[in-house]
Amino acid sequence: MRSVKVTAIADYAATTAAGWHQIFAETVEMVPAPVEMQPNGFIQANWQDRPYGQLTSLKAQSVHDGTSIAVRLRWASEKPETGGREGFPDGAAIAFPITGEPVLWTMGTEDEPVQFIQWQAMKNKIRSVVAWGIGSSVPGSPVSESVTAGWSQGYWTIVMLRTLAGGPEAATLQPGTETQIGFAVWNGSNEERAGIKAVSVDWSPLTIEA
Amino acid sequence: MSNRQVAMVIDLNKCIGCQTCTVACKTSWTSGEGQEGMWWNQVNTAPGHGTPKDWEKMGGGFKGGEPQKGVRPAQGDFGEGFELNYKEALFEGAGNEALKPIGDEPQWGTNWDEDVGAGDYPNSYFFYIPRICNHCTKPACMEACPRGAISKREEDGIVVIDEDHCRGLRFCQSACPYKEIYYNHVTGHAQKCVFCLPRIEQGVATACSRQCPGRVRFLGFLEDEDGPIHKLVNVHKVALGLHPEYETEPNVFYIPPLSPEKFDDDGNPTGEDRIPLEYLESLFGPEVGPALERIKQGRADKQAGRPSDLMDTLISKNFLDLFGPFTNHPREIERIATELEREPVIVPPSIEIAYRGPGGSSQ
Repeated sequence: MRSVKVTAIADYAATTAAGWHQIFAETVEMVPAPVEMQPNGFIQANWQDRPYGQLTSLKAQSVHDGTSIAVRLRWASEKPETGGREGFPDGAAIAFPITGEPVLWTMGTEDEPVQFIQWQAMKNKIRSVVAWGIGSSVPGSPVSESVTAGWSQGYWTIVMLRTLAGGPEAATLQPGTETQIGFAVWNGSNEERAGIKAVSVDWSPLTIEA
Repeated sequence: MSNRQVAMVIDLNKCIGCQTCTVACKTSWTSGEGQEGMWWNQVNTAPGHGTPKDWEKMGGGFKGGEPQKGVRPAQGDFGEGFELNYKEALFEGAGNEALKPIGDEPQWGTNWDEDVGAGDYPNSYFFYIPRICNHCTKPACMEACPRGAISKREEDGIVVIDEDHCRGLRFCQSACPYKEIYYNHVTGHAQKCVFCLPRIEQGVATACSRQCPGRVRFLGFLEDEDGPIHKLVNVHKVALGLHPEYETEPNVFYIPPLSPEKFDDDGNPTGEDRIPLEYLESLFGPEVGPALERIKQGRADKQAGRPSDLMDTLISKNFLDLFGPFTNHPREIERIATELEREPVIVPPSIEIAYRGPGGSSQ
């Protein structure tokens, strides 16, 4: 997919911003994160016969203005789930490799970490986390981030913004280069959390226009 | 693996279900926000639904070493916290106001079926079974946490949850076969009994043990050959883990309850046990029958004037003999904490919470 260069990122902050109609929406194939890759036998035992990560695709778009990048995601969701007091919220994340070519499904490795920007329906903000493998995620380098989200007529639409500049624990995104982007979606009403999620089959190439 | 294991033996023949342990634990540990329906110590009536409701049907643990599917109990299964209208009923109602819960009528609570038991009159039966986290040798909760937030302390085998790493994912709740882990919806963390570790670290018995008026709870290290735990578990072999079939190797052990006799239609004792052995075996495994026989033999020895180390240990004439190496008075800790404050040195919050109750509580 392409992150299209625009003049003012603020014009794209809203999920319903008119500008998004001009930006090509990439269809990303999603699959359940394999049960064999769940980090322990208990999670595997509980989920091996239970459907999860049933989302088959999402639409992804991106723009940037040389300083910040916006990624808009849209996916089908029967009803919005905020998790309430005891449940689990709907959620989504985008991932970027920080260094090297880490494996997306294993959430990076010790030498090749992955940055995730994660949104949860119960919160009005997103958070940047860094992972060096499954279960290792911790808050990453501070990156200016914001999000808008809305559910309507069976679809979540969210726009996540972050600066292009990164840090030791946040991917640096450079106009005129190609990097990679990955996706994850959690269906809270199905108690999906952590590794129980839908993930993109692999990284998608992301060209950041000069 | 831990180097040594702190453990508890609970004598079910002495427990009178007074819930003093429950309150000692509650006031020490779970009076915070989000902990209203949280009881790290419960005294349930057996047979019964238990806490959380029907926890024995919720799965988890291991079978043949393999992790088993488990249900994650909801707060409603434990019971919601609720307040009673003490003020109106006891002080302002002039006798016309009944004591009742404030707000929605509760539908379940931690001890909802207290004293219900089983069997038909005159052969009905029940006994009390206090429960806490079992600080298992093979903790299913620890294995289930994808964050590595649960650990077993090397120095004493106490299983703890690191709230800095816990993300409230609650896989631990499904995996624990004893369903002794709660979720604090305010902090977003899993929480459970910590075996009063700040007390244990300073040689003081757990609040539930120290406060028990029935001298029901023995403490010590499993490996300490002179201590009561080793004697009851390994020498006399009368203390058994609850549901050993879950394969987590619990470190809370129980002296199984002896049974009163049944009555026949004319009201004469029949010599048969009222509590079915099959029921006790379903709780404590196949060793419960032989354990009961050994306890009966100990009683017979004592009645006949013969020595019985088993009965002397169980009776525990000296209060402090119950607690193995944890015989320091809770007052000592309070004084240490106060002195530290005077230095001034920052007192760990856990110590303050546990030992500095209103009026200098000595729990």
